Amino acid sequence: MLLNRKQSGKRWHLRPDGAPKVTGQLQYLTDMTLPDMIHGRVLRSEYPYARLLSIDTSEAEALEGVYAVLTSKDVPGLNRFGIATPDQPVFCEDIVRYVGDAIAAVAADSPERAALALDAIRVVYEELTPLNSTDAALAPGAPELHEHGPGNVLHRTEIKRGDAEQAFATCDHIVTETYYTPRQMHAYMETEGGLFVPDEEGRLNVYAATQHGYKDRMQLARIIGCPEEDIRVVSSPIGGSFGGKDELNVQPYGALLALRCGRPVKMHNSRKESVRAGLKRHPMKIEMQTGMSREGIIHAHRVRITADTGAYATLGAPVLNFCTEHCLGPYAIPNVDVEGVSVYTNNGVSGEFRGFGGNQAIFGMEGQMDRLAEIMNMDPWEFRRRNMREKNDPGPLNQRILVTDGLSQVWEALDRSELWQKHQSPPADPALPPWIKRGVGAAIAMHGAGLGYGIPDPAGGRLSLNNEGKIEVAFSYEEFGQGLVATLEIMLCDLFQCSTSDLSIIIGDTDRVPHSGSSTASRSTTMAWMALQRLQTPFRSRALAVASEMSDIPADELVTGPGGIWRKGQLPADTSEVETDVQKTGKSEKAERTEVAEIVAGGTESAQIAESYSGVSQYQAKLEAPSDFVVSYAELAMQGEADEWIFDTKFDYPTTPDNVVGGHYLYTYAAVAAEVEVNTLTGETKLLDTRHVVAAGPVINPMGYIGQIEGGSVMALGFTLTEDAVMQDSRYVTTNLDTYLIPTIRDIHTNLEVEAIEDLPEGDSFGPRGIGEIGSVALAPAITAAIHQATGVRVNRLPVQREQLVRPLNVPLQEGVSPS
Amino acid sequence: MSKPLENHWTAVVNGEQKHLEIAQTTRLVDVLRTHLQLTGTKVSCEVGRCGACMVLIDGEPVNSCLVMAYQCEGSDITTIEGLHGEEKGTLHPIQQAFVEEGGFQCGYCTPGMVISTKALLDAHPEPSQDQIETGLCGNLCRCTGYGGIIRAVRKAGERCALTETSTEETVS
Repeated sequence: MLLNRKQSGKRWHLRPDGAPKVTGQLQYLTDMTLPDMIHGRVLRSEYPYARLLSIDTSEAEALEGVYAVLTSKDVPGLNRFGIATPDQPVFCEDIVRYVGDAIAAVAADSPERAALALDAIRVVYEELTPLNSTDAALAPGAPELHEHGPGNVLHRTEIKRGDAEQAFATCDHIVTETYYTPRQMHAYMETEGGLFVPDEEGRLNVYAATQHGYKDRMQLARIIGCPEEDIRVVSSPIGGSFGGKDELNVQPYGALLALRCGRPVKMHNSRKESVRAGLKRHPMKIEMQTGMSREGIIHAHRVRITADTGAYATLGAPVLNFCTEHCLGPYAIPNVDVEGVSVYTNNGVSGEFRGFGGNQAIFGMEGQMDRLAEIMNMDPWEFRRRNMREKNDPGPLNQRILVTDGLSQVWEALDRSELWQKHQSPPADPALPPWIKRGVGAAIAMHGAGLGYGIPDPAGGRLSLNNEGKIEVAFSYEEFGQGLVATLEIMLCDLFQCSTSDLSIIIGDTDRVPHSGSSTASRSTTMAWMALQRLQTPFRSRALAVASEMSDIPADELVTGPGGIWRKGQLPADTSEVETDVQKTGKSEKAERTEVAEIVAGGTESAQIAESYSGVSQYQAKLEAPSDFVVSYAELAMQGEADEWIFDTKFDYPTTPDNVVGGHYLYTYAAVAAEVEVNTLTGETKLLDTRHVVAAGPVINPMGYIGQIEGGSVMALGFTLTEDAVMQDSRYVTTNLDTYLIPTIRDIHTNLEVEAIEDLPEGDSFGPRGIGEIGSVALAPAITAAIHQATGVRVNRLPVQREQLVRPLNVPLQEGVSPS
Repeated sequence: MSKPLENHWTAVVNGEQKHLEIAQTTRLVDVLRTHLQLTGTKVSCEVGRCGACMVLIDGEPVNSCLVMAYQCEGSDITTIEGLHGEEKGTLHPIQQAFVEEGGFQCGYCTPGMVISTKALLDAHPEPSQDQIETGLCGNLCRCTGYGGIIRAVRKAGERCALTETSTEETVS
């Protein structure tokens, strides 16, 4: 189904956080203030690699208005953090390993005074020569950046199948290429920060963005040396993350300063500090050798991945696992020899980023496919089909995966598309000047969801009828913009035929939600859906049984509906659907305005403090509640004890039964075609048209789905054409958004179509798959294939270097004009 | 430490006369966010690139991170909080269009984006694609890929044009 507003019909659901966002009423955690708050700042390293000889904070401490100056000796618990491998110091003790390393933190009565205090801290360094590349870090005799070596290797991966060496010897054609990918920056618009508030009971309230509040709480408790229960983490709403806020950033400093001062502390990184200290996508070098028979069947694939993980581990190892798994693509290759290494350097820290290592791998593998097809003089799409895994084949790591038709479906849908058909007869526009060249390319991908085999990936959730008579769900997921809250509303309205005003959605608050895992790895939608499948029956059974007792109507004649419990067959037709924009606009203009007034009024009232993201439900437009129900939810909630209305579930994200660490079980599939226009005088590439075909099961939230694919696609456009956080001698050269160039509205594809394939096998128990990453993983190779068709240049390094595409003007010269 | 210089600053902000005692070198974005608690104006790049802090000064869209208090003394400043429909407390047609078309995701760029759209539609009530791109290329969005934003701006343009027409009709 071509996904757009028109096709979506009644499922086009307005986000409950829409009005507060477009009016500026929504308070992000970095917008929060308290009257007696003070301001925290962090002193970061002057050098990418140095020994710390001394730190003198006395002058800073003596400054008027300075409340605290902290260094490593002020950390009561573990002076380390890191989601997987806690090797990043909160404050460096004797060595600094990158320019984002923290040495001290201050709290003062104004941001300006805090900055003065940072200047007054005297640090003496012994500068060391930074390991500014993976080559330097792997060179014999290179200093070891961490004690837990060997050498500077964080992690190694390996897949060996068949006998690649022997297979290569029998291959008729071999393509050898090395691919390079950039240090991409998340560039979320809201930089890291928040408010840290110690309360009278001795608890610490942390209002700071993360993708996993419970994990932050655990790490903070470890740093502070307190029980986890002494900390409350409120972590939504978030002004973008894309993986970049999954790791602790300002939280340790805000927390320690607040506890030391006994006052609320506000932290908010400047963009420059965010660039300097924040995570980036792993730059990778991927060497590939792929061999095939004269019939065009791939027999052997050799890959060597080198990832620059920077100064600290964070999720470098899982990212490399994912890249290793995905560098085989969705192809059946009998002889495989893959080795990956993730290397510590003194460069910026690389970590989690939308696509999670898949983007780099798919760029390489799809590039190989195009090069091989060219040797065969074969249509590259047909070449892919010949080598694609069969439906029942095992996954890339030879693990069992859930069988779906997704791969062949996206292949076929793209093959049929008008855009891809253009590839057969390269688009030429005689009206264009001769230096403008056009081409079309395509790529395909399978992308794993969830954390993978062997990594704890708990899920669950809570469904209850709260004492206000709202159907309440609580998850430890976060709303960082993806539309999770809207998706939950749709799911609940689908399940209970209720209206959005019957709902209370609670996320992003460790005091109020059960531990249901993180919002990451495209997992939240699937996990929420699976949790609600488990919870709906006990909830409904109790609701109907109690309503039956109250009304003397048999429970099997009752159903849930808007406002309460209804007799079967008497549900108002219009409200049995999710409340939609279509219904709203069906009303008079005046009526619409009245609704909006209510929205805004609710917003103003609740904008005082972001107690939790559940606040957004207050912005929801109020429908006229139908009143023909048998028993209202409010009346139901008064029956029995409150805890009898609470239902919990716990389970794990589905994993393959085979013992392959990191191996995935659920995959989504995508095919992308791209048409580009290259100006061979300037080397500029403009993306004209794209078509994304995505097979991820039923579309729950069309607006969110389109938004995620469009947003992922444009992020991938940046990855392909302009984005690179350039480092020179381990220092960032691109320090802000004026030199680090993300796409603007002028740079995007003027046409972008999304086609959703919703089929899942009959009886599939996993429901809709997440689509947060799939839109971003396959565009780069499609663009570079299109560039090849346009110019004949095979690109192997991202972002595309314009100078590679500049060509002398190949037109007959006018008489009397000679080339200079 | 000596007390910073204090200065009297006045301006009309969202239709209300404001008087503040602040250093005249205070950035407008800080005047708004810190002194007036108008946190709808967002702070992001602080070098005038991203547009998250966009406000209207005497009707012109300006990055408030680049303007000092003294530079807008006496001006008429409109922030996102000052934008509304026919009546206060209702959504402006631009805001309504952003909600309906999914012209936002995380929403952090949205106030600036809406303000720039207001300036765009004031200047070009029926903007061409090129005018939309020119009007909004100073506002970065990392979430939406701009698709929803473009659809929202087009719809808002239609709505605003419609409103203009009906107002004119009423007047005549």
